[in-house]
Amino acid sequence: MSTLTTWLRDPNPASRMQSRLGQSYLSWLRLRRNPLAMIGLMITAVLIFVAIFAPLLAPHDPITQELGRRLLPPGTAGNILGTDDFGRDILSRILYGSRITLYIVLLVILTAPVVGLIIGTVAGYFGGWVDTILMRITDIFLAFPKLILALALVAVLGPGMENAVLAIALTSWPPYARVSRAETLTVRNSDYIAAVKLQGAGPIRIIWGHVIPMCLPSVIIRVTLDMAGVILTAAGLGFLGLGVQPPLPEWGLMISAGRKFLFEQWWVATMPGLAIFIVSLGFNLLGDGLRDVLDPKSASK
Amino acid sequence: MSLLSVKNLRVTFDTEAGRVEAVRGVSFTLDRERLGIVGESGSGKTMTGRSVLRLIRPPGKIEADEMTFDGIDLLRASESQMRSLRGPRIAMVMQDPKYSLNPVMKVGAQLTEGLRQRDKVSKADAIAKAIDALNAVQIRDPQRVMEAYPHELSGGMGQRVMIAMMLIPNPDLLIADEPTSALDVTVQAEVLSILDNLVKTRGMGLIFISHDLRLVARFCDRVLVMYKGKVVEELAAKDLMHAKHPYTQGLLNCLPRIGGSREPLPSLDRDASWAL
Amino acid sequence: MLIEIENLSVTFTAQGRHVRAVENVSLSVKAKESFGLVGESGSGKSTILRAICGLAPISGGSIRINGKPITHNRAFSRKVQMVFQDPYASLHPRHTIDRTLSEPLAIHGLPLTDQAITKALTDVGLPANFRFRYPHQLSGGQRQRVAIARALMLQPEILLLDEPTSALDASVQAETLNLLSRLRQERGLTFLMVSHDLAVIDHMCDRILVMQHGRAVEELSREALATAQMTTPYARSLFAASADRMLEG
Repeated sequence: MSTLTTWLRDPNPASRMQSRLGQSYLSWLRLRRNPLAMIGLMITAVLIFVAIFAPLLAPHDPITQELGRRLLPPGTAGNILGTDDFGRDILSRILYGSRITLYIVLLVILTAPVVGLIIGTVAGYFGGWVDTILMRITDIFLAFPKLILALALVAVLGPGMENAVLAIALTSWPPYARVSRAETLTVRNSDYIAAVKLQGAGPIRIIWGHVIPMCLPSVIIRVTLDMAGVILTAAGLGFLGLGVQPPLPEWGLMISAGRKFLFEQWWVATMPGLAIFIVSLGFNLLGDGLRDVLDPKSASK
Repeated sequence: MSLLSVKNLRVTFDTEAGRVEAVRGVSFTLDRERLGIVGESGSGKTMTGRSVLRLIRPPGKIEADEMTFDGIDLLRASESQMRSLRGPRIAMVMQDPKYSLNPVMKVGAQLTEGLRQRDKVSKADAIAKAIDALNAVQIRDPQRVMEAYPHELSGGMGQRVMIAMMLIPNPDLLIADEPTSALDVTVQAEVLSILDNLVKTRGMGLIFISHDLRLVARFCDRVLVMYKGKVVEELAAKDLMHAKHPYTQGLLNCLPRIGGSREPLPSLDRDASWAL
Repeated sequence: MLIEIENLSVTFTAQGRHVRAVENVSLSVKAKESFGLVGESGSGKSTILRAICGLAPISGGSIRINGKPITHNRAFSRKVQMVFQDPYASLHPRHTIDRTLSEPLAIHGLPLTDQAITKALTDVGLPANFRFRYPHQLSGGQRQRVAIARALMLQPEILLLDEPTSALDASVQAETLNLLSRLRQERGLTFLMVSHDLAVIDHMCDRILVMQHGRAVEELSREALATAQMTTPYARSLFAASADRMLEG
């Protein structure tokens, strides 16, 4: 064993940093034993890599039209995945499209779970009328189908990528609030919360430092499982023309454009569809694997 | 021939932290008597009890030179053979009745379920047998208990129901894993006297697993003292207070006593050679 | 008197039903005394401790410390601390020992030094290199030592002990009881201790209150317990059930 791994496995870490890294290393070892989760992690890593290096990887410009080369089938020299009705290289558009997908996913991750986590823990910790009010608001949001609500919001705000993200974020926080409230209810009466209350800690310190860390794993798992849904909602909005606007290479938009030729030139819609499918599957597999690693109930064993 | 014979039992777990040996070569025989297994947490006493029923979850592995129950080789018995042994012939009572009874089923339904499904007894007969079993564990009001859900029973009552449930098929061997640890002292005495009575009148064998030396000394015929997966001492229960092994002596000495001195309690200095 | 509890009643309300967990219990504890509450489950003994800490609703009577009615503010937490029964449940599973012990200092704005943490660890007999471990890397006895160290971080006068050793093995129980006795002597602490084990209570406490069904049954001195001079039938039956915990001879 190398010196690094012995340092990580040291049962008596010498600093906060070492103990945290050691714990992460053990989680990584547990994740590594799950082959499906590793496939998910690889797909996610490839998505991030492709998004970063899209200009270097893409053989053609994703927007420049070349009408002489329209609707070429996959396998054509220079256009491995074929071209669309404007003669644009589908592979290049998918590679560039990964940036948009990743951007949407990141923005949603940074907003919806945070809002849900705060609302859920506050409602669960205080209980009583605070809980009643916050949870009824959550229920109102949950009562509408997600896509319909997002559609309504985009219709009001106007089409565009930022508004699509906003609409998705506004419709996807309630499940996180529910999850973190449920976790908070199990944690709130535990002895370690009683102990810190007894030390004179206020509600903000208790929620932030003691309750949220216990809710975080379930929320993170939920986020990775929902990312597939976020991609699909974004694609759906794009498909309906309410999300990202042409000529940007968003995957949902590409499917929508390819629909017209689905029977004769199947690849125009199928290729971005496959991209959505693979990335969604990747996030799902990763989420499943993370559940086994992060779930406090299984990790405590 | 004895009822149960175990020779050189080993239970090992292969985990990411390496190989863990929970039980390391335990041998004992049991007749229709009360055998106590005592030890601290992690001594392997629970694993020993569960091994007899082959109830060790993977990655745990059971190995032994011999493990026979009434002439049946438990190591080579098929899983379906084991299922027919568990319950009708070898029963087990766990520490906490809360986790052993189905919370959404009435007690009566749980008591009669086995009789109705396994033995194809008529409903009226099954109920009559269940009430007999509840009477045997000295439940005064069996009709009411039959209609109750587990959460409506107190801890002592729940544990009696558990024992009654185990006794309905009239097993030859009862394994009781800390059956009274979750109970108050006064209730504890009652449950023990019920168990005692059943062993005497039905001629059952009993393996009584506990961390409480005083309880085992009072209640059992023979005692195995376990330490780190091994039996360090085997002796008659009445001699337990005069044990030879320093570990057993140490365990006894570190208990506070009513009317004892206020001096610091003697600590147990563990000798590395005990675990060898 | 340091702690005076007068006619304390605690009533829990759940779904319209009222459960009286403690009814009209009075007791008083002198400074530096060790007072024990014994009883079976459901006798309300732990509820009294939780009521003192503000973790159970007081429906009647009063609790005074140093003659003043208690208010649950920061000053109170520097005077009274508690050790819980289950060391597996009383430490935050995702905080290192270091974080658990620093938290009380951080809450009260006290200087947070490496030295303070290592001293707290060594005072309860734990090696200083346990500092950055997580609770799941410790045994039950070690966790209970951390819980005791945490309770002592704010230098309280009064320590409430809720069955501090009932989840521990016999040898670990002995070590923990010895540690508590030593700390009481060194720091002049006042103990209010709850246990179902008469032998533990007898070893640790000067005076004992026997409780049943939320009511006080009988108060006994240590001598009265050792010589079986109880007057009520319940205290007597409790004593009889603990006969194997008597000193032999």
